[in-house]
This record gives sequence, C-alpha cells and structure tokens, in this order.
Amino acid sequence: MRIRITTDLVTGILFVSLGLFAIGYGWNYPLGTPQRIGPGYFPLLVSSGLVLLGLILVIRSFFIAGDRIEAIALRPLLAVLLGTLLFGILVEKAGFIISAVLVVVLARLSDRDFRPLEVAILAVVLVGFIGSLFWFGLSLPLHPFPQW
Amino acid sequence: MDVLSNLALGFSVALEPINLLYAFLGVLLGTAIGVLPGLGPVATISILLPVTFTLQPQSAIIMLAGIYYGAAYGGSTTAILVNLPGESSSVVTTIDGYQMARQGKAGLALATAALSSFMAGTIATFIIAFAAPVLAEFALDFGPADYFSLMVFGLVAAVILAHGSVVKAIGMILVGVLLGTMGIDVNSSLPRFTFGVPQFGDGIDFAVIAMGIFGIGETISNLGRTEGEREFVKDYKGLWPSPRDLKAIVKPALRGTFLGAALGILPGGGPVLASFSAYALEKKIAKDPSRFGRGAIEGVASPEAANNSASQTAFIPLLTLGLPASPVMALMVGALMMHGLYAGPQLIAEKPELFWGLVASMWIGNFLLVVLNLPLVGFWARLLTVPYRLLYPSILLICCIGVFSIRNDALDVIVASVFGLVGYVLTRLQCEPAPLLLGFILGPLIEENLRRALLISHGSPSVFVERPISLVFLILTALVVLVLVLPAIRSGREKVFAEEAN
Repeated sequence: MRIRITTDLVTGILFVSLGLFAIGYGWNYPLGTPQRIGPGYFPLLVSSGLVLLGLILVIRSFFIAGDRIEAIALRPLLAVLLGTLLFGILVEKAGFIISAVLVVVLARLSDRDFRPLEVAILAVVLVGFIGSLFWFGLSLPLHPFPQW
Repeated sequence: MDVLSNLALGFSVALEPINLLYAFLGVLLGTAIGVLPGLGPVATISILLPVTFTLQPQSAIIMLAGIYYGAAYGGSTTAILVNLPGESSSVVTTIDGYQMARQGKAGLALATAALSSFMAGTIATFIIAFAAPVLAEFALDFGPADYFSLMVFGLVAAVILAHGSVVKAIGMILVGVLLGTMGIDVNSSLPRFTFGVPQFGDGIDFAVIAMGIFGIGETISNLGRTEGEREFVKDYKGLWPSPRDLKAIVKPALRGTFLGAALGILPGGGPVLASFSAYALEKKIAKDPSRFGRGAIEGVASPEAANNSASQTAFIPLLTLGLPASPVMALMVGALMMHGLYAGPQLIAEKPELFWGLVASMWIGNFLLVVLNLPLVGFWARLLTVPYRLLYPSILLICCIGVFSIRNDALDVIVASVFGLVGYVLTRLQCEPAPLLLGFILGPLIEENLRRALLISHGSPSVFVERPISLVFLILTALVVLVLVLPAIRSGREKVFAEEAN
C-alpha cells in the first residue's frame, strides 16, 4: 500500500500533534476531583478528543482515497504575512506611516504584475485615507512617525 | 399589548438619530465590503468589528446587525451579477439569479432579491418580537447541566454549516475550544497555555483570530487563485418589477420567509440550510420545474426571503439562550462581551432597550437596505470592476490597524498574522475555519457549565441524563451525529468501490 499525502492525512497528523502538545504542555495542570474539576481537566478532555479524531483521520486516509493537497501559493503567502508581521513588529518603533507603506508594498509584491507607480500612488492614498480614518475617527493612539 | 409596547420602546431606541445613523452606516459599509468578491458576512464583520468598539453597546450591536444584513445583501448582488456567491447562503441565488441577469433581467433579479428580503425581514421581526420573550422565560429554568448539553448540541449542529468532512469539522471545533482555554483560569488563577507571555493572560481576543483567519488568511487564498473568468453583466435596466412580476414574487417569498424563520431558529440550521430548502421546495411545487436553473423568478425570491428571515431568527437562540447558531452570531457574542454584556435569558429583562432596540433595528436595517440598494445597484456593480490588486492591500491594511486598535497592542497584529497562516493552511487542508471560531467562543462557557454541573451533582456525571432538558439535547446531539455520520460512511464506501473499480 502506498501512503498518499492527502488532506485527511495531514490534518490528522496536525490534530494528533496539537492534541499531544497540549496534553504535554498542560501535564502539570491539576485535574481536581470529579466534584471540583481543576484547571487541567477540561483541556485534557478536549486534547484527548482531538488526538482521537486525528487518529481516525490518519487511519481513514489509508483506506479511503482523499483529495490531495492543492499547490500552496508561496509568493502571496510570504509577501502578505511578511507585511503584516513587519507591521506588528515595527509599528510602535517605526511609526504608522512606514509600517503601513510596508504592508501595502509587500502585499502588492505577491503579484507578478508589480507596477511601481501604481503601487506608490496606492500606498499614499491608502495610508493617508485609512490612517486619518483611524486617527481622527477612532482617535487611535498611533504614532505616525518613528519614535527613536 | 405587551409586545407592542416593547416594540415601541425598541423603535424609540432604534430611531434615535445616532442609532439610525449607525444602522445606516452599517448597512452601507456592510454592502460595500460584502459586494467585494471573496468577502462574506463573517469576513466583513470581522474587518469592521474594531470600528464598533468605541460606540455605545446599543449603537454597536445595531451597527453590527446592519453590517450583517448589508453584507448578506452584498453577497446576493455578486451572486446575481457575476455568478460569485459572496457567502454560502447565496449560493442558491446564483442558479437562477445569474441566469436572469444573463437574460438582461439583472435589475429585476436584484429588485426581487431586495423586495423578498424586505418582506421576510418585516415578518421575521414580528416573529422575534413574539417568540423571543417566551423562549427566554423558558430558558430561565435551565441549569448548568442543561446549558452544557445545549451548547454541545449547538456545536455539533453547527457542523452542518461546514461542508466537507464531519471529522475535520468536529476537530476544528475542538481546536477552537482548546484555544479558548488559553489564559488565566478564572477559578484557580492558574495561567494555562500562556507560554510565559503576559499578554496571553486574558487569552487571545476572538477578533484577532477572526481577522487573522478571515481577513488575512482569505486574502492569501484569493491571491493564490488564478483570475477566474468573470462575466460581468453591464446591463441592469428595468429595475422595477411589473405588477405581474410582483404577483409572481409574493407567494414564493412568503413560503421562503416562514421556512427560513423556522430553520433559522435551529442551532446550526441558519441561512444556508434555509436557502437550499426553500429552493428545493419551490422546485418541488412548481408546475413546470424545468424552468428552474433557467432564470425562474421564484428561484430568486424564495431563497432570498428564506436566508434573510433565517439570518434574523438566528438571533433568537443567541439573545435568549446565549447560543450562537452560526459563526456570525459567534461574532455577535464576542462583540457583546467586549461591551461587558452576556447574551442569555437575562438580557431581555436587564437590558430591554438593547434587546428591543436591536429587534426594531432589524426592521429598519431591512428598510434601509431596500432604500439604499435599489438606487445604488449600478454603483455596486461598478465597484465589482475595481481590480482586486487595488482592493486587497486596503483589506490587509485595515486588518492590521483594526487588530492593533483592539487593545493598542502590536503583539496582537503578530498573533493575527499567525492566524492568517493558520487560516490559509486550513483552506489548503479543506478544513472549514468557521467551526473553530464557534468552538473558541463557546468553549469557556462549556467548561464553566460543566464545572458547575459537576459541583452541584457532587461529581456524578449522571446529572446530564437525569435532567430532562439536558437529556433531550443530548438525544438530539446523538441524532445529529448519526445523520451526519451515516451518509459519510456511505459516500466513503462509494469512494472505496470507485477506487477498486479503477
């Protein structure tokens, strides 16, 4: 029998790993007594359920032909996540304007069809509009400029 | 009459200029974002959630409801004009709506959708006004064991919402429940799964998860797709239905309304089930079923009425039992919690102005939808032609700032990015992320009720089958599992046989 890398198999492995991780990480949380359940009781119950479901998926994937995983769009994935991550890391130090421009420019990099002028205009308009919306509209305590 | 005086109170709240303004803004923003391809109500509400945090609770919930109706209507608009359902409940609308549009009757189809929805909304508002207080009264007798079983039932029933694998959907619920245990345990003040990060002491904010998965994650999925061939319908003349059309609309819309209202109350039922059932019903009772799929006006009127009345009656279990029947309702619970309000039977008694204001605003929201959208149909259609490459950077930027604004914490943006990745991976693995959100919201409530029930019963688990209300819900849960699993086994077998035949 050939093992097929199906969505069921991978999901099952993820469920089992997450469940085992939670059981392990929460090993020292007190379980309490049946009458007074402790903080570890419910997470253990849920994690065990997750492990069980994961096992069902893994075992089932050996017998039932599931769908293969479709190709992962690496470029948009990296460009978008890099942008939002950098925003989170930078916004308090570098200020809103720089981090927001980064989000827009990096997001547009996910497209092969990168038009510098259009992206520049888009960045200025979006950062100006959305920034002032949250700045004035919701009086968000965001620094527009770098804080050194 | 009691209900009438309550409705009067509601309208006095909902008609306050400030609330009217927020209802209007909600409907407008909801439609504007909901009309964009790939953004359904859950994503739309997630993205706009932070905007409502600064408002008064009434205004916030009224605006969110407005966003919800707007987004739902926006989804129907794209379903009709470009054959792209904005959400699963308008999938059925594409069948006949898009055909009507291709025959040059896009205006009529859009008007039919709007008018049927309005009719359904009006009737559903009255159903809520009469049914909700009765149900809330009944719910006051619920003990912790009953709530526990009710919520387990709600979660399992919600699996119906997920298309695809039942096992995966239940797994997603458990992942959500597990995520919900993060933070300092209220009873023992023990930090659970906080990984030593102080900000995780309060757990992760549900809006961070929602915006990460549905805002950032779905954007990545959309970018990964190749530009589909979108056939735009440019011609939408003849907006107003003729009297003959109106006559053809009324009866199917009424049938859809009542079917939808009944299904909407059921946890897990919701607008999707309602629209599909309504369509099936119309097709079954039609004199000439072959017209369906070729632009039958009933095929638009009935499902649109059904999904609208279902999306309204879905508020009944939320407001009376605290049970969100759908991901959108889970977002509503989260929004209420942000304002320190807990949905449940006490809400009607303790916050009548909020409850009745919301009920009244449902009708107003539906009214605004018709007023706003009939003249703006042309505008929405043009919005669809804005290239996606200009749209998604704005969506991402709004998500980033929105997440940051929840508690002015940049760490939340990083967490949301991680959930963006999670959301994308989940779609690749064909796991629906919506049950995760539902589990996340209900998880802490389930744990608390389990703890209380066991405390009262001195640790005996038999309390869950001894209390009749609890027992009924557990039996219903078992039935739902059976209904869900049986076809899965059957289709699984078919797959095996198909494999062998190859």
